[in-house]
Amino acid sequence: MKSLLRGVLVIIVLSVVLGAAVNLRLLRRFAAGEFREGFIDRREYAGIRFITLAETEDLFAQKTQGAGGLLFIDSRGRDDFAAGHIPGALSVPLEAARRSGTLDFPGAQTVVVYCEGGDCQTSISLAKIIHDKGFRDIRIFTGGWAEWSAAGLPEEKSP
Amino acid sequence: MERGWSPGGKIALIRNRWLLLVLRVIVGGVFVWAGALKIADPLGFAQSIKNYQIIPHTLAFLIAVVLPWIEVLSGAFLIIGVFKRSSALLISLLLIGFIGLVALALARGIDTSCGCFGSLSRRADFSLILIDAILLVFALSIFFARPPRPNH
Repeated sequence: MKSLLRGVLVIIVLSVVLGAAVNLRLLRRFAAGEFREGFIDRREYAGIRFITLAETEDLFAQKTQGAGGLLFIDSRGRDDFAAGHIPGALSVPLEAARRSGTLDFPGAQTVVVYCEGGDCQTSISLAKIIHDKGFRDIRIFTGGWAEWSAAGLPEEKSP
Repeated sequence: MERGWSPGGKIALIRNRWLLLVLRVIVGGVFVWAGALKIADPLGFAQSIKNYQIIPHTLAFLIAVVLPWIEVLSGAFLIIGVFKRSSALLISLLLIGFIGLVALALARGIDTSCGCFGSLSRRADFSLILIDAILLVFALSIFFARPPRPNH
């Protein structure tokens, strides 16, 4: 029993030491406040940034006033999208994007990706996939659908 | 020499040392491989943990830094035969945790990649629970195994 626990302790302590040593820089960046909004390496995904509700509203207003090149992408499932989404948004469920070899958004220069909000993570994963396809201006609206609808902003439903 | 917890030999499942070696190589190999892929991409793994929507942000990050090493070390020790039972115990506990996490994600309708093999991860679904359960049986068999009888 004693040797059993000693072995467990040795493995855990070694793992903590090795993990900390190998990831020292990453730990420092985390302590400095990086990765607070999502575990995205800004050096690797330079074209992705996180935006607030106010910034999203601003972009939405620009779009409704006719600004081109702006596309809102909803990464939730089809049912959630049908029940209500940001007007003009395109439904790209994360799993569908993973399965699809090509992601093409003709005319889009800036894409705003959102999911349910709260602790949802699909917008981040989808943003990474879109970044990997070559898009370089991707905004993640972290408040997501929950924050948008709670603010009483325009909604659209699909039949 | 480590001895099994097997009062009266009732819990000891396997005595055949070759079979045990095969089980150790299988379970250890899977864990070394899975851990190494995660060590290569700690942020990706942290994101995978977050995707389950149950573990807080900072804890997810710390787990992503440490847990892959526990997997690699336990797996490697299991294969080479150092701290065999401790490694089997840790791996069993991890597998129980993974099964619980995936089951909870399924129950809550969270559709996510498991994050178990880095970028090679599959979906967190029922068949993943089955695979983890098989590995758990293997790991527990190693943990409860008794050393072979003399002259056996």
